[in-house]
Amino acid sequence: MLVEMAVAAIRTSKLTKDYGSGRGLFDLDLQVGQQEVFGYLGPNGAGKTTTIRLLMDMLRPTGGSAYIFGLDCTRESVAVKKRVGYLPGDVPQFGSLRGTEIVAYFGGMRGRVDKRSVKAIAQRFDLDLSRRFREYSSGNKQKLAILLAFAHRPDLLILDEPTSGLDPLNQQEFYSLLREARDAGATVFLSSHVLSEVEHVCDRVGILRSGRLVKVAQLEELRHIRVHRVEIEFASEDVVPEVKLRSAPGVEEVTVAGARVECTVRGTFDGLVEAIADSSVTDLVSTEPSLEEFFLSFFGEPKPKALTP
Amino acid sequence: MISVLLGLRLGRWGVFGFSLAALMSVFAQTAGFYQIAGHTLVQRLQFGASMAALEAQFVALFAPTIRPDTVEGFVEFRGFNSLTILFAVWALASATGFARGDETRGIVEMELATGTPRPVLLAARSAAFAIAVSVASIAAAAGFVIGVATNHDTVEARGLIEMTLLIAAVGMACYGLTLLVAQVVGARIATASAGALLLVLYLLNSLSRSFSWLSTWRWLSPFRYYDLSQPLPRGGYFDGRAFAILIVFGVLATALAAVAFMRRDVGGSILRLPSISRRAAHDASAMPWWMVPVVRGLYERRLGLLAWAAGTAVLAAVFAALTRNIVQALLSVPTLLPYLSIFVHQQLYPAVLGYTWSNVAQLLFAALAITYVASWSAEDSDGRLEAVLANPTSRAAVVLERMIVLTVAAAIIAAASGVVLAYASHAQGIDLVPQRVAAASLMLVPFALVFAGAGAVLAAWNPRAAVALLGALAFASYLDTELGTIYKLPLWLQDLSAFKLFGTPLVNGVDGRNLALMLLLAIAGLGSSILLMQRRDVGT
Repeated sequence: MLVEMAVAAIRTSKLTKDYGSGRGLFDLDLQVGQQEVFGYLGPNGAGKTTTIRLLMDMLRPTGGSAYIFGLDCTRESVAVKKRVGYLPGDVPQFGSLRGTEIVAYFGGMRGRVDKRSVKAIAQRFDLDLSRRFREYSSGNKQKLAILLAFAHRPDLLILDEPTSGLDPLNQQEFYSLLREARDAGATVFLSSHVLSEVEHVCDRVGILRSGRLVKVAQLEELRHIRVHRVEIEFASEDVVPEVKLRSAPGVEEVTVAGARVECTVRGTFDGLVEAIADSSVTDLVSTEPSLEEFFLSFFGEPKPKALTP
Repeated sequence: MISVLLGLRLGRWGVFGFSLAALMSVFAQTAGFYQIAGHTLVQRLQFGASMAALEAQFVALFAPTIRPDTVEGFVEFRGFNSLTILFAVWALASATGFARGDETRGIVEMELATGTPRPVLLAARSAAFAIAVSVASIAAAAGFVIGVATNHDTVEARGLIEMTLLIAAVGMACYGLTLLVAQVVGARIATASAGALLLVLYLLNSLSRSFSWLSTWRWLSPFRYYDLSQPLPRGGYFDGRAFAILIVFGVLATALAAVAFMRRDVGGSILRLPSISRRAAHDASAMPWWMVPVVRGLYERRLGLLAWAAGTAVLAAVFAALTRNIVQALLSVPTLLPYLSIFVHQQLYPAVLGYTWSNVAQLLFAALAITYVASWSAEDSDGRLEAVLANPTSRAAVVLERMIVLTVAAAIIAAASGVVLAYASHAQGIDLVPQRVAAASLMLVPFALVFAGAGAVLAAWNPRAAVALLGALAFASYLDTELGTIYKLPLWLQDLSAFKLFGTPLVNGVDGRNLALMLLLAIAGLGSSILLMQRRDVGT
């Protein structure tokens, strides 16, 4: 047990997949501890899916190595997959098979179906498994893929943009499922290009750019770094606390136009809230920055050229 | 215009592959004629008599030609007649690919979203196929011209042009019919339904040559209007009215398909089975076969397997029923009697049945292997292989399970057709040796495995091109056995053809060496595909 605890859930060393022309994943050194929820953040084409497919032994590395629970991802892939639940970025197509059959098919490949777990997840997402796959909406297809990844209660969940296609209500349900899995002892490796999603569920975040890991940060650090665009509509021009806003900690780029104020908030909202506390606000909109804006604020340079693995 | 170009762009490999196949096959048959037919008048007449015997055996498939002793008659029978089947298969794949495949992938929806009216889109894709099939038909004509010219002979242009027009028109008629069926039935069964319809229409016409009661209905078949002309041989004829009907057939079917397309939902079909209200389920299926490797694969393909077994068994019964007619036709030609005396020693009826049925069964089992390889390729592109490999199973196990599923499926189909063949031939008074029927039926399994092995290699190497390449390989393999002796190809090269290795087990029993070679080829394919699968990336 002690030995098991010491082994990282995921460890890569100089892991490389070179597609040529500068595309791919290069020299990835990464370590994810057990029971950690690790967010893997990067714009489209940064190499997130390539990393995940290397871990899942779908792709053969050009160089370096990857281990899951101390097992070589290439040479011991069957043993690795016994302990992993995988949600691919693109939901596989199962044609006219019914949901019940798909779950049984993959359960059969794992030796048994955890009926209780299947039922719990299906009911939770209100997923009717009696229907044919081709009749499912894209959201329901994604729910089925989530069920297949979670049903056997794996030690490690590798999830490639898991909430794409889910409505906000089901996204929340998914986040709580994820937290329960972590509380039950599972490790989660989750890729995303949505900052708020990563913030919502992750303990630590790895940021990938142009196929290279550029930053591994604690969630607090990320929260401190990130910015929001905020638009505030005050009750009248007279009550705009312009001076307070301009001097509030974390509030930048303040623009005042009549009763309307636009500004940028870096880190927490405490300074802004304090500045407007005594004023009558009729509307307040906070917009999450795109990953592009995040990179601009974080690295001081625009988004790198998109890479398509 | 953009839609026409897009249709051609999406089907470019089909245009290239089928044009090349048409050119090569017609050229090979043309050049082959000069190798085997002799040069004197007597030699040609003798050759013509032997060809007439061959034509009589295949009367259930192809119409006999009027001048088999000439290059034009020979190539019309051996080359162009086969192309009608090839083009029908192409039309089937292309039309269902547009009406269902492109629809599933969202391409049709995207095109309609640009404001293109549905009938215009359908007409554009039909025009694209018309261009494609015309190119392939011209390639076939070019193959004939090159073959004749290299042997210092001349071509009658008018007959060749009429022949070219005829085969292109057959392709278009089949395309229109397939389009129509694809609008009427659901995506799941569109290809199978259209394929079954084309097969029935083909057999309706071809079997009407042997069963007179079918002739009342053969006007329904577009292949009938092809048969009414024999333009290529000197002294042949071109039935303009039949050609016009063939064109109308294609146009009418396409127009009806357009009307049906306007009336249905995108992604839906005209005919919809009433949906059975099911209770919502939140459990996995409790059926035990999902837990058993191979059995789950067979269960998933159960409907297709049933259709293959039933279809093959029906054809076996048809060929058993045809044998007497074929033999009587052969015996009615006095010049054929010396030729037939070779067979008489080996029992004429079993010999003819063995020869004709074996040929058809081999083609069917090669097609079976190709359909399985197509499903393997599809699993790769639609992410299912990735989903399977996310489970604790090795790549080798996946390849092996696929091959075992195909082996069992082929064995079931072979057994069904073997039992029906034995029963039907006995009912016709043709007593086959039961052990030989069993051996001949079982030989179809390693025969299919040779193609499956090659297909597994291709699917592991390049899944997107696997089906086209395997089709080309099967075609080359067929030509190898047809032309190997004519062109005196080395024995080892001829032995690579499963069609040759299959031999005539119903007549002469199983050749142990050939069986061993087939198994060796299948195992080599399996081993190579496992090695290739280990090395490749999945999901890129």
